[in-house]
Amino acid sequence: MPDDRGSPDLAHGVPPVAVSSTSTRVNLTGSWKYIRPVYQDKVAPCNQGCPVGIDIEGYMNLLREDRIEDAIGLLLRENALPAVTGRVCYHPCENACNRAWLDDAVSIHGVERMLGDLAIEQRILPEPETPRPETVGIVGSGPAGLSCAYHLARLGYTVTVYEAEAEPGGILRYGIPEYRLPKDVLAHEVNRIRALGVDFRCGVQVGRDLPLNVLESHDAVFVATGARRGRALGIEGEDLPGVRAGLDFLREVNRGGRPALGHRVVVVGGGNTAMDCARTALRLGAEVLVLYRRGREGMPAHDEEVEDALREGVRFEFLAAPVRVESTERVPDREPLEAIEATFDRFEGEPPAPHVAGLTCTRMRLEEPDRSGRPRPVPVEGSEFFVAADLVLTALGEDPDFDFLPEDVERASGVVRVNALNATGHGALFAGGDITDEPHTVAFALGSGKRAAVGIDRYLRFRAGEIGDGADLSELRQGPKGNISVTRWVGGDPVRRTDPVNRVVTFQETNPAHFAPVARAADRHLPPGERRLGFREANLGLEREQALAEARRCFNCGVCNECELCLVFCPDLAISRSAGGGYEIAYEYCKGCGVCATECPRGAITMTREGL
Amino acid sequence: MKKVMVGNHAVSWGVKLARAEVIAAYPITPQTQIVEELAEMTADGRLAARFIKVESEHSAMAACIGAAATGVRAFTATSSQGLLLMHELLHWAGLGRLPIVMADINRAVAPGWSIWTDQNDTLAQRDTGWVQLYCETNQEVLDTTVQGFKLAETVDLPVMIVLDAFFLSHTSEPVDVPDQAEVDAFLPRREARLKLDVHDPHAFGALTTPAVYMELRLRQQEAFDRAREAFAAVDREWAERFGRGYGALESYRTEDAEIVLVTSGTITSTTRHVVNERRARGERIGLVKVKMFRPFPTGPLRDALSHVPAVAVLDRNISPGHGGIFAEEIRAALYDLPPGRRPRIDGYVVGLGGRDVTPAVIEDCLERTRRSQAEAAAAAANGGAEREIAREDIWVGVKP
Ligand SMILES: Cc1cc2nc3c(=O)[nH]c(=O)nc-3n(C[C@H](O)[C@H](O)[C@H](O)COP(=O)(O)OP(=O)(O)OC[C@H]3O[C@@H](n4cnc5c(N)ncnc54)[C@H](O)[C@@H]3O)c2cc1C
Ligand code: SF4
Ligand code: SF4
Ligand code: SF4
Repeated sequence: MPDDRGSPDLAHGVPPVAVSSTSTRVNLTGSWKYIRPVYQDKVAPCNQGCPVGIDIEGYMNLLREDRIEDAIGLLLRENALPAVTGRVCYHPCENACNRAWLDDAVSIHGVERMLGDLAIEQRILPEPETPRPETVGIVGSGPAGLSCAYHLARLGYTVTVYEAEAEPGGILRYGIPEYRLPKDVLAHEVNRIRALGVDFRCGVQVGRDLPLNVLESHDAVFVATGARRGRALGIEGEDLPGVRAGLDFLREVNRGGRPALGHRVVVVGGGNTAMDCARTALRLGAEVLVLYRRGREGMPAHDEEVEDALREGVRFEFLAAPVRVESTERVPDREPLEAIEATFDRFEGEPPAPHVAGLTCTRMRLEEPDRSGRPRPVPVEGSEFFVAADLVLTALGEDPDFDFLPEDVERASGVVRVNALNATGHGALFAGGDITDEPHTVAFALGSGKRAAVGIDRYLRFRAGEIGDGADLSELRQGPKGNISVTRWVGGDPVRRTDPVNRVVTFQETNPAHFAPVARAADRHLPPGERRLGFREANLGLEREQALAEARRCFNCGVCNECELCLVFCPDLAISRSAGGGYEIAYEYCKGCGVCATECPRGAITMTREGL
Repeated sequence: MKKVMVGNHAVSWGVKLARAEVIAAYPITPQTQIVEELAEMTADGRLAARFIKVESEHSAMAACIGAAATGVRAFTATSSQGLLLMHELLHWAGLGRLPIVMADINRAVAPGWSIWTDQNDTLAQRDTGWVQLYCETNQEVLDTTVQGFKLAETVDLPVMIVLDAFFLSHTSEPVDVPDQAEVDAFLPRREARLKLDVHDPHAFGALTTPAVYMELRLRQQEAFDRAREAFAAVDREWAERFGRGYGALESYRTEDAEIVLVTSGTITSTTRHVVNERRARGERIGLVKVKMFRPFPTGPLRDALSHVPAVAVLDRNISPGHGGIFAEEIRAALYDLPPGRRPRIDGYVVGLGGRDVTPAVIEDCLERTRRSQAEAAAAAANGGAEREIAREDIWVGVKP
């Protein structure tokens, strides 16, 4: 009976208000329920969206608790090159972010970049696991090769990387320009891999400098030689001097070369290579025009890249395609004077070698979508026009070249066929990155390298009789469609999880009422005017404080972060803290109202059918 | 410390001085400033309270009920439609005997949509089990707010502080803000006698059979009876400490009066002015201001009005199909006085929907009562029967 002494009402023996005389503890309201809440941590959509398979939600959670070192540790557990991906990954994770439904996606790449830079600054070096007797050979040191090497080294293997170029990095080193990815950032991250004991043999092209069978000395081999063969224009005059593969041009500049370009550079293509060529040529002093056969919306290049190119002064000619490369010997009527002058100048000495003078182009229009679902461009008859050019850079996409591989490695439509853990089926040969059938991006390459590392570890442990082959791969994924998590493969998750299920939590399952709208931090940029003056990094990322504020914007989708709201809201006081962390539900009182599950800001409570 | 402030902020300051611990409110014109100020006070730490944002007045009252049930001091404020939306929960607070304090800015009810003052919103809540205290000045608003908490917690009844829209809510006046330490001495922390305790859970407000429901009602009625004396004590103590007292009722220059005007709210101030002018001319006119409407101050009213020949009640409200609500209640309270001591009572409906009640309107009421009084006297002198007391209230200051 509550203490109501002192209430003048009590003189009458009936309490002043309708209050039960017995404790309500006797009333086991739990018997009313037909559904029951259970704590069940799920997978955040960003985790599934990241092709590397990073536990983004996990490190955001650790950052919220100010456990910055643990956050870096968890990030480095999954991603070999966070300072690189924080800069050049197109962050599909953010497209999946639940917060976008409230205001704007969390700037995951911004946080990742800050942590990656911090890891470099603090010289953080992950510890390798117990050494293993086997050795693994890796061909190609692009992101796929680097990722595989890193994870295998951490798993205790002796790793040798064979690289044809003088320095490791693949496209990161020789394709992506300095102003997007400073080479010292890459070097620091490569050095971290070196420090794990990985042996890089550069300047060695397997199949040419080194016979393939050398690889047989390794217990397993991972091949990730990338896609470097530029596609041809397939038009008349394309062999003229002054027509050049874009990737080749970028490679020269990335090696430190500063080729003379002439005044006018025309880039053909609408992908990222095209944007890199255009913005690089601009920085070398040229006037740049990009020709693309579809419209702006149809460009495969990442939107931010196109925006940057426009801001810096690159011009675009959409719905236009070249039909003929014109030589200085034969210039179309459009610019006769110029052509004649050019010809006369050269008559002074030796007759000049023919050189590109420009492109005859045709206008295109878009027809019904083709099989890829994109509108099909078709030439508009009689719409030809001329574009003058001193240099034409082709950027129509790149294809892999794996002629050096054994004949019986299975291929299909120009790629090496692999299974879910990137095994080719040819002995201990694994493959990944751009030579396999997946999107050509850094994150996918890193993800495939990591997957192959787990595949090789599993293969070698199985061969050594340490494990069976029955491990359920789906349990290793970040959600049903996500990449493999090494954290799950090796164990030791720094985030406490209750009864985790491999299901992605939707926005509908979160409770945005507990979050106030907060503007997303935008990356800082060098002013466009300054960018044209050189190769300084154009995107400066976020300040550390901005990045930490972004981490606080994160919902921590699907994973209980002990915010205590369920306990506060339970109308039956059925929830209490449990000794070992987390919460307990007194089911004899929980009446199954579901308030806790509804209130949980992150969908970490699931209502289940009673008795099932 | 004297400060110039609007009536709304006088409420906020009263709540701050009373150290309310939970404030839950939903904004509505003309109440919004009260909670805005309180929100700022809680945000910047001047008031150590939990401010709960809610999606409706119904929820605001629900939150106050929950808070008060756990033993803390809870406050809300509303007006008009907001108060009407709370209706169900006003009963819950009343019969739950929860000492919540609420300020209501008297605003006419819709339709015709109105934000201007009259008393129909609060008078519609007459039977919900809330003490109702009407105020005349901003100083009275601040003082009554603090007093309200003490009264509420003394008798375990919720208290409504009522003030006129705009005439008080948005009008600035100098207000003396009492010293916090002295207010603390007047109003210590709430000591709840019955409260929700998670360590000894009991059901509140559960099914109550016919065997005890009526007794609960009787307890409530007894509490209201005690509230009359409790308010007098609270008001006395306040006067001792701070030099200002109001009383459930105020008689103003009623000595030897032939006609007494009865008012509530800000009409009182204008009426004081009229009374002063008439008295200056030697006319025997007085004023009674009704501050406490629930519990109804029957005894003090009988004391103040018996022996007065004629009473004119000014009602800024209307009970459709009957008349002015104060007039009805005063007639009922005085009905069983012996015939010689029972005044004639005229009711006037004035100032609905915020219409100005000017001195001219009040004079009009006064003259009508003077005429009807003269007629009655003449009839009595001719040996005619005394005219019926109950008659229709007259609408004054209204277009036909
Ligand atoms: C110009 C350009 C810009 C790009 N920008 C982005 C970007 O911003 N973001 C993004 O996500 N993706 C970008 N991409 C795509 C991305 O770079 C690739 O998808 C990714 O690098 C593929 O990685 P990989 O490891 O498979 O191959 P690569 O990075 O191509 O590396 C393959 C490596 O193998 C070496 N190699 C090849 N053959 C042999 C051999 N026989 N023996 C030894 N070594 C060999 C090569 O020298 C090379 O170092 C870009 C691509 C290009 C071309
Ligand atoms: S690697 Fe790319 S997709 Fe993965 S978290 Fe980083 S930015 Fe997002
Ligand atoms: S809110 Fe956080 S956890 Fe949720 S999807 Fe976005 S980044 Fe991932
Ligand atoms: S409400 Fe908070 S404490 Fe409860 S399950 Fe969700 S995240 Fe965890």
